Amino acid sequence: MNNLESLQFFIPELFLTAGLLVTIIVELLLKKEQKVFTAYLAATVLLITIFFLIRQYAIEPAALFGGMVVIDPMAVFFKILTAVSTLIIVFFSIPSFRVKAEYYVLLLATTLGMMLMAQVNDLLMIILAMELVGLVSYVLAGYRRSDPKSGEASLKYILFGAASTGIMAFGFSYIYGLTGQTNLFEIQQALQSTQHNPVILFVAFVLIIAGLGYKIAMVPFHFWLPDVYEGAPTPVTAFFSVGPKAAGMAVLIRFIISIVAGVSADGQTFTANAPIHAQELLAVLAVLTMTLGNLSALQQKNIKRMMAYSSIAHAGYMLMALAVFTSQSVEAVMFYLVVYMFMNFGAFWVIHRMTPHLGSEEITAYTGLGYRAPLVAVAMGVFMFSLTGLPPLAGFIGKFYLFAAVIKAEWYILAVLGVLNSVVSLYYYAYVTKVMFLNRGDDESAVSISSYDTALLLVFLIPTLVLGVYWVPVISWATQSLHFFLG
Amino acid sequence: MITQALIIWLLPLLAFTIQIFVGKRLPRKGDWVSVSAIGISFMLSIMLMIQMFMAYDPEFAVTAAMPWIETGNFAIPLGIRLDNLAIIMLMVVTTVSFLVHVYSMGYMAGDQYYNRFFAYLSLFSFSMLGLVLWDNLFGIYMMWELVGICSYLLIGFYFTKDSAANAGKKAFITNRIGDFGFLIGLLIVFTTIGSFNFSAIHEGVSSGLLSGGLLTAAGVLLFAGAVGKSAQFPLHVWLPDAMEGPTPVSALIHAATMVAAGVYLMARLSFMLSFDAMLVVAYIGGFTAIFAATIAITQNDIKRVLAYSTVSQLGYMIMALGVGSYMAGFFHLVTHAMFKAGLFLGSGSVIHAMHHSMHKLHLHEDPNDLRLMGGFKSKMPVTYATFLIFTLALSGIPFFSGFLSKDAILGGTLAFAMSQHNPIHFLLPVFGFTAAMITAFYMFRLVIRTFYGKPVRPEIYEHIHESPKQMTVPLMVLAALSIFIVYTLPSFNPTGAAGGWFDHLIQHPHSAVSAQLGHDVLHIDHETEHLAHISGIIISILVAGLGILLAFFIYYWKKADHTRIAQSIRPLYLLSFNKYYFDEIYQATFVRGLLAWNDLLNWFDAKIIDGIVNLSATVTRVFSAVSGLFDLHIVDGLVNGLANVTSLFGNGLRKIQTGQVQNYILGALLGTVLIIIISLI
Repeated sequence: MNNLESLQFFIPELFLTAGLLVTIIVELLLKKEQKVFTAYLAATVLLITIFFLIRQYAIEPAALFGGMVVIDPMAVFFKILTAVSTLIIVFFSIPSFRVKAEYYVLLLATTLGMMLMAQVNDLLMIILAMELVGLVSYVLAGYRRSDPKSGEASLKYILFGAASTGIMAFGFSYIYGLTGQTNLFEIQQALQSTQHNPVILFVAFVLIIAGLGYKIAMVPFHFWLPDVYEGAPTPVTAFFSVGPKAAGMAVLIRFIISIVAGVSADGQTFTANAPIHAQELLAVLAVLTMTLGNLSALQQKNIKRMMAYSSIAHAGYMLMALAVFTSQSVEAVMFYLVVYMFMNFGAFWVIHRMTPHLGSEEITAYTGLGYRAPLVAVAMGVFMFSLTGLPPLAGFIGKFYLFAAVIKAEWYILAVLGVLNSVVSLYYYAYVTKVMFLNRGDDESAVSISSYDTALLLVFLIPTLVLGVYWVPVISWATQSLHFFLG
Repeated sequence: MITQALIIWLLPLLAFTIQIFVGKRLPRKGDWVSVSAIGISFMLSIMLMIQMFMAYDPEFAVTAAMPWIETGNFAIPLGIRLDNLAIIMLMVVTTVSFLVHVYSMGYMAGDQYYNRFFAYLSLFSFSMLGLVLWDNLFGIYMMWELVGICSYLLIGFYFTKDSAANAGKKAFITNRIGDFGFLIGLLIVFTTIGSFNFSAIHEGVSSGLLSGGLLTAAGVLLFAGAVGKSAQFPLHVWLPDAMEGPTPVSALIHAATMVAAGVYLMARLSFMLSFDAMLVVAYIGGFTAIFAATIAITQNDIKRVLAYSTVSQLGYMIMALGVGSYMAGFFHLVTHAMFKAGLFLGSGSVIHAMHHSMHKLHLHEDPNDLRLMGGFKSKMPVTYATFLIFTLALSGIPFFSGFLSKDAILGGTLAFAMSQHNPIHFLLPVFGFTAAMITAFYMFRLVIRTFYGKPVRPEIYEHIHESPKQMTVPLMVLAALSIFIVYTLPSFNPTGAAGGWFDHLIQHPHSAVSAQLGHDVLHIDHETEHLAHISGIIISILVAGLGILLAFFIYYWKKADHTRIAQSIRPLYLLSFNKYYFDEIYQATFVRGLLAWNDLLNWFDAKIIDGIVNLSATVTRVFSAVSGLFDLHIVDGLVNGLANVTSLFGNGLRKIQTGQVQNYILGALLGTVLIIIISLI
């Protein structure tokens, strides 16, 4: 499809771009105390974008802009997911960023980047979209200018990101050199039609995985994550933990179904393009990722850092499912991302709102919180247990689908290692609950929270509880979205 | 209709949620939330009932389902089935529940945990209604456990009292035993048929997917759940103790609804009972009926008499289902729910009055004790009149509802015995008729000792007052519902339900076992049935009359001294008074045995499991320390040297990460290279 024709399928992105520009201009016109209005404007823009996105389900899968991006239900799923996560983050950020209005503009810009990542179909486009997300993220990470930790986080993020992109681009150049193509489906055809040197292909594959792995925090490309998560403002940390990660997963899935393997039209069978043991490599990396994430989380005293390692471990669980290359596993990952969004945002929200009251981000500061702010503590307990994957909470169902996909594909050892990891994670998640309820701190004064805080807490808590007993709508949404454009 | 049913079901859940979180802060502690929720459910149930009457079709059924769990081949839909059985049961549950809610506003007034009480009542109503509505065993099992939890919470409502807390635990644990059987039965059904849905099970059994010994086993195991919940022998021990809960709870849960859930389950599953399974059900039910009745004679606690009476009547219902009298069993469930709830609420009214009187006199005696009452007739006219009606209904006196249903059961057992070639099955009608006589006797013993004669303790009698309106109005409503006409319309025949709406609407479902075998599981011809019915009426009126006469003879006219009689048959008396020593036997065998086993496990846990756990913890710690050290010393040491790291971070050990971005990038690059090298080797 040529560029002009493509525009009609690009309405959400165009609207978002227009909304972003309007938000910048409006922000200039507002007085300081009115600046919070930009947040509401950004939320409205996102809401309307989501509305446009939902309508995109009706569109037949097609390639747009000369094959640069595609539009198919899977792309729409990830676009909606990232837009919703940003929408939530807008409300998440309002208490801390009332006057810094350009912050919301940056969030919108990242969303645009993530939406592009969800639908990439060209090597160049992958780099462009990922850099758009990356560059804005660096600014967001360093947003608390007065805090040296925040600046440090930003700088580390930039340097690490630049290096990773470099590695990935290097890998892309191998692929281009082998096939002479940048379009993913052209590459697929070239790989399937002629035999290429598997060693070079494998090297290219590893290099690309390194670049993508940085985005989703796969070991050993995770080093940046704990420092950035700890240093960045908490709303930004929460934002990083879901949206960009989901977008990274989307790129990885695209990459798997085009360059690594071919997929049948119904998404049921995957056939490898070249004999390069990509699955085994991903499986090993998945186990390393979750094991390192969990074991390191065990030793953390700072709750934000613990959550950072926990997010590495969760990336490992999702990678574990992706490694088996079945439609079920892709569906499971999509479902898990939805669940993960609610429980992880919930945990970060509690951390974010409690830190000023508790005066510290140390886990020990949460001692006796169950007696000081019962609702918050109970909610935190629910999020922790859901992250562990205990029934009847949403996290259990999410993990159930991940493990079911792995077991169905008969990768039993991988599943066992995943379960063992879940057991380890119980320790540090339950520890938080333990200090909140079983111990009593010196300070027993009640912590009062505003109704805004409670409302947003319920936005995270209710889905975490409800999706644990009734999840059919979400899983069938994922199933319906499991429909790829195949060139 | 489905929407209506969903509203009926979910309103109490909403009320529960509101009550448990903000109930305390609401005006009147939020009792109106629960009462209006169940009130609306009650009215909507009436509307469903009207729709059922408009259809007036025995096969009437509406179903709806939506997907719930779906993973590959394993699917459990969420489904609701509204047929005559379910609608009548909804009506029973909402009626009794609504009346008990209203009654509780008077009875529980001023209680410290008033709002919590109503929250639990709402949760119970939700669970019980769900149990009635689900169209599959899985859903029923979930609700089954939920009602169990509500029962536990409400029995132990006065949890500061040891006896109440223990009774709650006893109820819960005893039920677990039955539920375990239920679960296994459920799994047998699912593994053989592949579905929990009733219609799928019906088809599966008809087509022979589940047959022979396994079918009998599934039937008996599912029945084990009913044995626990409906307090049948040998798991009956929890119900009398459950009377530690507040009296409205006894009326709602432990007389009318939850304990009837077992009967309801068996009614739902009667299509899949093989002949052998039916025999087990019939004998357990029949034996429970007479066994519990003999205990009720000697009890002095007014609520305990009623509790044993409930056990006995539940036995009747179970026996009826066992002998294939489907309509009779369910009919007795409905009529019994009304008059037994009435009896409990009536006894609650008496206890309430006793309690207040004793409170005034600063007496610390048991307000439930029959031996302290007497002559309350004039002081509590409404309670007395309604109590008498309930008693007549329970004793099986013509013109009252209990006569219709009890007679149908007794006729059914007679017909069953006559149609079998084995004379031993005449034991069942013998059990039934004897229990009927004993029932009439102990109920009139209760009435005479409470309401007639001279006051035993004049000082208590002085301060007895009629209970408030919230308590007496429900009694009057229930009394009206215990008159025969309610169940026989459009016929006015006081001797049988035949020709009435109930008989028309509730008909035995086609047995799937018969379909599988190709012949009837149980064949009773019309003549036998008719003969059994006629003789059933005559004998049951005779035995009930005899029982009542005997009661008047001993307790009213005092022609014989009851203490002397007890003395002359002392061993039997003690056996009955001590409930056949079942609690003691269980204590000596199961509880002791369990404790010994527990000690053994404890030892095993402390010595062996802990050893393994500690070992693995050590291993994990060492491993994570090693991985920490690896990061710290090797990776960092490679680049900067250990000294540099420690100087940057005073507490370097805590930090796995160096904090230096060049190390990170180097790590990532090294990682990439390592991956490639390792994979290529």
